[in-house]
Amino acid sequence: MKMSTTLKALGLAATVALAPLAAPAQAAGTMSVAIALDPGSWDPIDTFVVDWSSAANNIFDGLTARGADMKLKPGLATSWEFLDNNGRIRFKLRENVKFQNGEPFNADAVKFTFDRLLGDEGKKGPQQSNYTSIDHVEVVDANTVDFVMKQPDPVLLTKLAGYGAMIVPPKYIQEKGDDYFNTHPVGTGPYKFVSYEPKVSLTLEAFPDHWGGAPKLDKLVFRMIAEANTQIAELQAGRLDVATLIPFGLAPTVEKDPKLSLISITGPTVVALRLNTKNGITKDVNVRKALITGIDRDAIIKAVLLGHAKPIASFQADLSFGYDPNLKPLSFDLAKAKQMLQQAGVAAGAPIKIDFRGNDATFREVAQAAAGYLQALGLKASLQPYETPVLLNDIIPNGKTDEAWHNAWGGWTFDYDNTAYLMYHSGEKWNPYDKDPKLDAMLEKQRGIYDVKEREKILQEIARYVADQALEIPLYNQNTIYGVNKRVKNFDAPADRRFRFTETTVE
Amino acid sequence: MAGFILKRLLQAIFVVLAVTLIVSFAIRLSGDPAVMLAGGSNITEKDLQNIRQALGLERPFYVQYLAFLKGLLVGDFGRSFMGGTPVSLLISKALPATLLLAFASLLLSIVLSVPLGVHAAVNRGRWPDQLIRILSLVGLSFPNFWLAIMMVLFFSITLGLLPPSGMEGPESFIMPALTMGIILTATNVRLVRTSMLETLSQQYIMVARSKGLKDWVVLYKHALRNSAIPLVTYIGLQFGSLIGGIVIVERVFNWPGMGTLAFDAISARDYPVLQGSITVLALFIVLINLLVDIAYGLIDPRIRTE
Repeated sequence: MKMSTTLKALGLAATVALAPLAAPAQAAGTMSVAIALDPGSWDPIDTFVVDWSSAANNIFDGLTARGADMKLKPGLATSWEFLDNNGRIRFKLRENVKFQNGEPFNADAVKFTFDRLLGDEGKKGPQQSNYTSIDHVEVVDANTVDFVMKQPDPVLLTKLAGYGAMIVPPKYIQEKGDDYFNTHPVGTGPYKFVSYEPKVSLTLEAFPDHWGGAPKLDKLVFRMIAEANTQIAELQAGRLDVATLIPFGLAPTVEKDPKLSLISITGPTVVALRLNTKNGITKDVNVRKALITGIDRDAIIKAVLLGHAKPIASFQADLSFGYDPNLKPLSFDLAKAKQMLQQAGVAAGAPIKIDFRGNDATFREVAQAAAGYLQALGLKASLQPYETPVLLNDIIPNGKTDEAWHNAWGGWTFDYDNTAYLMYHSGEKWNPYDKDPKLDAMLEKQRGIYDVKEREKILQEIARYVADQALEIPLYNQNTIYGVNKRVKNFDAPADRRFRFTETTVE
Repeated sequence: MAGFILKRLLQAIFVVLAVTLIVSFAIRLSGDPAVMLAGGSNITEKDLQNIRQALGLERPFYVQYLAFLKGLLVGDFGRSFMGGTPVSLLISKALPATLLLAFASLLLSIVLSVPLGVHAAVNRGRWPDQLIRILSLVGLSFPNFWLAIMMVLFFSITLGLLPPSGMEGPESFIMPALTMGIILTATNVRLVRTSMLETLSQQYIMVARSKGLKDWVVLYKHALRNSAIPLVTYIGLQFGSLIGGIVIVERVFNWPGMGTLAFDAISARDYPVLQGSITVLALFIVLINLLVDIAYGLIDPRIRTE
């Protein structure tokens, strides 16, 4: 009898396996988007992961906003002016705006948001430090607020368009408490919260009373999928509309699929090999310049990144404020590089080691290619993979690197200040070796300037100076890549993965 | 039996304590959760100190560890560094997902391996035996992540039959359970076969046959029951390695279980989540081993009286 029961069970399993069970294509009006990480809390002041923004940018609004074109525009503030010699910024607020729970948006909500961010609650999270240039916020009248500044911050208006500066509802948070708000977020944005299943998904639905007009989609589902292969499989199976994690090597898979399109646009991430200016052959600026000359970044972009990147001359994307189209990287010339090394007195077979993030499969190939070029220069090149947190939190800040190290950076503000200051100012975590008073002075000076043209000029000077000192081998600015189901229309793909799906529709 | 269980329980507590101590200590050897939380952003050392203080990381290790143990006693695993979700809530969602998947895999492997193994033993040396042995060798040689990807390509993308990832309905169990089940089956078939062969050569089987009992009664009632001891031991032990192997399978299939939880926690240096999930997993493995010991006694009365 047991045998036959087993057989029946087997038969049943087989029937179950053969029935078409996979869910059909997505329902009309619902769009699903993959994010890699679950931020754990949807409170704007708790996190700094991009994935938070991918979803929460649809729930919340800031005083300013930034569209997919990266241009700053009015958000919950309709206009602003600088007063008291730039010590005070006055914002006129948008009227008749409601939070998704019905609570009115007004000057009190703005004050509450920033009191919370700059107070004890904000202290526990990573967002406060971005906004320390603000001393406090004063309510002028119901629709006007003043930001009283502690020090000038030319990037503040950009920073008000996201993350910790997203406006939160005072009454809701006071009544329900902080824990509840973490998992049941309410903002003024175009989509309102429906449900959140940790490590699985976040579901939002249209908020028809949004001040910018009702969004076109009924429902938005953000699914947390950490594995790139899985995101692509879901995309190919028609169960996902937007995949956000597409390694360059898998881009052709998406491109070839007739149901899908691949979007490859300039992104925020720049990659360089920083050079050790204290020890090893890279101590000598002429050697550093020889190394830059000896690596063919165009070939690396074509072969390893399959063309999904652009060469850079300084550590920023061309979308970045401070970018200088006239600054060109030293062009590749193997013979010249060899000669430069010889002149600098570097013996053949001198060692050069590249430290890199071991879990970055793409960069591993880039590093191998770079090592190949260094080998061709007659150097003894080798690679040293590290676990990412170890490299970032120990090896680099404590000055324990080898001659070169992998530096990848992607600030969402698209302002060279944020990058350059942290990379090159004395005493900063990412600058373990240099103390250059001239560079420090330039970096500090631009932080006090609101004049756009003037500040841009200094940032360009900084980039030129860094290139001149050859502090790094600039490599490339890699593209942001999305895989999108063709049924998605009006998808305005943002460079920084901070989506806003107000106009997007699905068939 | 009571004394035996008590002794085992005390051992279990010791093992779990040792595991939590090692894990809590090791995770703190590298990386800083405050930096992970800040995502490499514009942040000063003072801000980092504030975050560390908020997370309770400025206290010495032994204080943090004792606080964790104190929490354990009342079932409080603390809160995740990522967003402050109570760890017990995360585990209460992840544990059932993992256990269901582990049991589904185990069940699948038993359902497949017992009849196949018995069949191979009965037909020893003839072609069904050879075939089953070759198949099990093939099954053993598959790396499971490769098998998983191949199944997704075939069943989800080419045929569009099964969801490629996630835990949604019964159908979403098929591929992950098969991925793990096939490799278990490959080992178990060999085990059942060997064990059956040994039992079938015993005199009482000859007696049973000569009494004129039907073939299936001899095989499944007399022989299988006596061959079951090594099988039960092995399956029990497999449960432990199953939980280990589940990390990869959960990741490929985006399964919201303990493997995903622990993996993410390691990447984010989320100490409370990692400590909590490893403690629960260790508890489970220890518990399973205990159950295996007790199961011996139930199957074989001779062990009970020892």
